[in-house]
Amino acid sequence: MEIIETHELTKEFNGLVAVDRVTFSVKRGEIFGFLGPNGAGKTTTINMLTTLLLPTSGRAYISGFDVVREAAQVRRRIGLVPQEIVLEGDLTARQNLLFHGMLYGMSRREVEEKIPELLELVGLRERADSKVRTFSGGMKRRLELVKVLVHEPEVIFLDEPTIGLDPQTRRKIWEYIQILNRERDVTIFLTTHYMEEADYLCDRICIIDHGKILDIDTPRKLKDRIGEGDIIEVEVSGKGERFAEMLAKECGCQIKKVEGNSITVSAKRGEYALKEIFSLADRLGVEVASISVREPTLEDVFIHYTGRSIREETTAGGSMMKYLARRLKH
Amino acid sequence: MSFLRELYVVFWKEMLLWINNPMLPVVRALVFPMMWIVIFGSAFGGEVNHIPLAVVAGDAGELSAEYISVLNTGTTLDIKSTNLATAEKMLKSREVYGVLYIPEDFSSKLIAGERVSVVLSLDETTPQIASAIVAHVTSVTQRFSKDIALAGDRVVVEKNTLFGRGIEYLDYLAPGVVMMTILFSAFFSGGMNLILDREFGTLKMLMVSPISRDAIILGKIFAGVVQSITSGIVALIVAILMGVHLKSGATGIAMIILLMFIAGFGFIGMSTAIGTRITELEQLMVMMMVIIMPMWFLSGGLYPLESMPDWMRPLAIVNPMTYATDAARAIMIRGIIWESLVLDLLIISTFAVAMFLIGSYSFKKTLGGVK
Repeated sequence: MEIIETHELTKEFNGLVAVDRVTFSVKRGEIFGFLGPNGAGKTTTINMLTTLLLPTSGRAYISGFDVVREAAQVRRRIGLVPQEIVLEGDLTARQNLLFHGMLYGMSRREVEEKIPELLELVGLRERADSKVRTFSGGMKRRLELVKVLVHEPEVIFLDEPTIGLDPQTRRKIWEYIQILNRERDVTIFLTTHYMEEADYLCDRICIIDHGKILDIDTPRKLKDRIGEGDIIEVEVSGKGERFAEMLAKECGCQIKKVEGNSITVSAKRGEYALKEIFSLADRLGVEVASISVREPTLEDVFIHYTGRSIREETTAGGSMMKYLARRLKH
Repeated sequence: MSFLRELYVVFWKEMLLWINNPMLPVVRALVFPMMWIVIFGSAFGGEVNHIPLAVVAGDAGELSAEYISVLNTGTTLDIKSTNLATAEKMLKSREVYGVLYIPEDFSSKLIAGERVSVVLSLDETTPQIASAIVAHVTSVTQRFSKDIALAGDRVVVEKNTLFGRGIEYLDYLAPGVVMMTILFSAFFSGGMNLILDREFGTLKMLMVSPISRDAIILGKIFAGVVQSITSGIVALIVAILMGVHLKSGATGIAMIILLMFIAGFGFIGMSTAIGTRITELEQLMVMMMVIIMPMWFLSGGLYPLESMPDWMRPLAIVNPMTYATDAARAIMIRGIIWESLVLDLLIISTFAVAMFLIGSYSFKKTLGGVK
């Protein structure tokens, strides 16, 4: 049996379906990610898997134990790092870990023995006796990560582990998550709405939207699924829809998204398609305001399934080439 | 943008917030002022009345009966005619605040034109009440004396303090303040702690761990009780250092701490129950103003209940704080006299058990998740 298995897991809140018959499994030792926009049902799923919320219907098992009927067994085997920081600010790092271990029935000595090594793992050994209140956001996150390791869980749940952190700190947290996974041999289930995060960390990704699973696979295979080749984003000065139509007909491009005069297409050979796009623009008498060619990202996968972006801001992922249309023309 | 315009924008947003949340403005703008005007205007400083006073007529004569009926005029006193033994018992168990003894030779001496004295034995635990009794009895007696003998000094009142000799307002106030400390800190350790826990998610940490749900609830309640008792003890120490009357010494202190413990459970249970019904700190502050503060002001802690208008007294009677304050005061000023404590202790204990059960039940219900 896999470490996490769900079967048609469903949660309704007053008739509103937050998680809709979700079936998936997580293999022991992998980093498994739930990728989806805010409100997709990610946290609700985590809450059901960690016994915080009763499912409306369906089943879920952790290490073979039913999350409803064998909650005590499940709780002993899991660790949860929720979205919000749940450390006690007025306790020191050491005291926080101590309290955590004692919650899981460990003796004071048992926990004390583990503390230096655990803090070392996330570079907090020197701060063992400082109050957590004085820690930065990133330090608190790191402490949370090792806190749940105190009782040696088989799987840890990370709900949006890097939300609200700056890019540098985020990178660091990613490294630590990988260290936990490899060196500690702990299975990791995480949720995120950052594509780069899912792409960088996860062995397998489950794309979820409106409580429903859209696809589950490795990042590579998910990206391949939307067609081989490059993604071209072009913005023209007018006639957006007509332009997109012609593009599909004449250049062999696949339309991904049209939003006014912004068009996203995929093309087998990006460089080649570029030329055609410019000549098409000339023929239609419009100008190319901006154009970029890049490799597909998980964002494109999400758009492929839902027709919309996972969030409104553009991603920084992929190798992006940006051309200024005017400069090219002249 | 001109300064006035800027000022208007800020002002406008604040007013919008105020209006958009209908509960708070109604409570803040209407309920608070009305409630406080009523409480402060009526509960304190009004004339004390309906004070229970036992009268023992050693003389069955006509003059004695007339004297009693004159005493009974007005609403200041509620006269209870009885015999000496019962009167003593009533005074001990605090059913009455004093006993007025009319001697056997009352009528005969008056007829003979001699001077006669009535003896007023008082419980001065509540100084305002004792002085009201003295004032009323003295003036009535003088008038009676004038009517009967055309001289105001023929009947004299002999005052005799049985309990609470030399009691000042501070002595009266201190026991109430000690209980108030428990009430207020229970409010913060119980309800507020719960809301903060939920807001910061620290409750989740306990919820995902394998410890039993009952341990979470009881652990929090016990910690709350200990925290509020601690502040109660500090208040008691301050009172003692200020020289507040403490009749029964160490036993009295032990008894008060026991009382704090029982009341603490009740108040923590109550504030936990409130905390589980509420999600925001702001609403909790409203609860503080609507429930906790009136509990304190209507407890007789600051001013005797006898000074409240009749319609307000039922509020004091259903207020558990009344009994906690009353018991603490009785212990500190009169010492441990069981007859006078039984009722208070019974009511507070019932309140504590009920609130503890309600509090832990509603806590358990809001924990949710898998049991």
